[in-house]
Amino acid sequence: MIISHYMKDEHRACDTHFAAAEQAAANGDWAKAEEGFITFSNETLTHFKKEEEELFPAFEAQTGSSEGPTQVMRFEHEQVKSLIGKLAHALEAQDKDAYLSLCESMMILLQQHNMKEEQMLYAMCDRVLPSDVKEETLDKMKKVVL
Amino acid sequence: MFSQNGLSLDQAPPLSVVFRFFFTGSIFGMLAGVLILFYQADIFDAHSVAAVTLTHTLTLGVMLSFMFAALFQMLPVIAGVTLKNPIKKANALQYPFILGVLALLFAFNLSAPWLFGIASFLLGGSVLFISFTMLKNILTLTHHSASSKGMLTALISLVLVVILALYLTASLASFTEATYYTAIKEAHYSFGLFGWVALLIISISFQVIEMFYVTPPYPTLVTKYLPNTLLGLLLLSTVVSFFTPLIWVVTDVLLILLLCGYALVTLKRLTQKKRPLTDATVLFWRMGLGSLLLSMLFMGLTLSYDIESIKSLSYLFFTSFSLSIVFAMFYKIVPFLTWFHLNSQGYFTAPMMHEVIHPKTAKKHLYIHIATVAIFAVSIFISELTLLAGLLTMLSFGWMSYQIIHAYLLYIKTQKTGEKFDMNMGNG
Repeated sequence: MIISHYMKDEHRACDTHFAAAEQAAANGDWAKAEEGFITFSNETLTHFKKEEEELFPAFEAQTGSSEGPTQVMRFEHEQVKSLIGKLAHALEAQDKDAYLSLCESMMILLQQHNMKEEQMLYAMCDRVLPSDVKEETLDKMKKVVL
Repeated sequence: MFSQNGLSLDQAPPLSVVFRFFFTGSIFGMLAGVLILFYQADIFDAHSVAAVTLTHTLTLGVMLSFMFAALFQMLPVIAGVTLKNPIKKANALQYPFILGVLALLFAFNLSAPWLFGIASFLLGGSVLFISFTMLKNILTLTHHSASSKGMLTALISLVLVVILALYLTASLASFTEATYYTAIKEAHYSFGLFGWVALLIISISFQVIEMFYVTPPYPTLVTKYLPNTLLGLLLLSTVVSFFTPLIWVVTDVLLILLLCGYALVTLKRLTQKKRPLTDATVLFWRMGLGSLLLSMLFMGLTLSYDIESIKSLSYLFFTSFSLSIVFAMFYKIVPFLTWFHLNSQGYFTAPMMHEVIHPKTAKKHLYIHIATVAIFAVSIFISELTLLAGLLTMLSFGWMSYQIIHAYLLYIKTQKTGEKFDMNMGNG
């Protein structure tokens, strides 16, 4: 379960930064909100890059399928990226209502996405990938930078 | 294999499918308010026609409609079940269902056998059809989550509720001899409230509490065993009750313990949420779970004291439990779906969730809902207040109907006038 553990921990870390930024925005502390938001978006985008450049290709090579779950996950990454852009605009404009509203959409979207990955995709990766491939993929993911 | 798990791009059901059942439920809710004004204090006599009519308006017309909205929405998202032709299925369910509920309500009041016959045909046919369709889809899943397993147990309970109800309506219409009427009625009521309503809320909460509020997951002990234990307990009690009706006392004690345990575990999760903001939906959840605890407390008291007002309080707080949680889900689902569908269709001008329903609007509904439940509780003792409770019920469901209409009109308006991302321009 090394893939599941590593990736789940990353999801949880992103949630924590996101929640900190949301709370700061609600309090009107925009400097702190910006700090939390930048950390959240950088970590989320790095996490997506790890999946799209290392984990998904390894899964696709093993299963011979590039049209199934990984394609859906890539599509959902694009939805999240588009929301990150909108959140950045609201943050820049210090528009509290818009920021908090977009936070709602982002959280539901992201949590649905994370659940699918954690309950199905990561579990499948841990099951189908040979242990040496898993170790190798994990090492490569740890080296990915934004 | 993933497509079987419903992980398709087109995973969200059409807006109209979910909205129509929320709308139907809220209209029946307003009807419940009218019935309270009409029957007044008679509703607190559990054996009266007034109580039976109001109970079925709330459980069938309101709750079952809301539960259908939740199932159509949640099955693809949290269980990975994609229902084919959802609009056709929703049509096949909605119209016979509404007519069936109305026929049943009239049948209770007119004691007309033919109306019981029509109600049985329409409700039995439509509810069993959708239950079996959903059950079949869940059973073909290759990868189960705690929620999908829980939904399975809830749907099995719904099927049993309907089958038991068919026996009761056949007895009332004098088609059969009512030999087992009392035992079947007890089982019908228990499967309805604890097997169907409570189990469905429990199964959905396993995933939405974590998803909406970013809390730690439920303990595996709860997610793995609670739904099966509840269903098993109800099945066993029903069988045993034909020989020893007193078994329901033991069952009630166990139900109280299990449901209080669930409420406390969930309340604890809500205190551990990572998102520190507390919006109306969190308060609706807390109110719902608090109501469940109160309902179980009064149910416990009825085991020792046979007092009608204590029974009424137990029913009232159980209703508050289920409605509060429906409202909590409603204020997340409706704004999210409106935004999600328009955003996925490429509209730049898709309204944000707060523009569909503002959190302040949800909070106002919370205050109306709290006032409704409080006035109801007092009106059990001061019957003159029943009138006010009826008016507040109408206001509460009227508020909800207005939000659905507003969201839908906004959706249509954006589709007609909104600016859309042009694929050709994007390439240029």
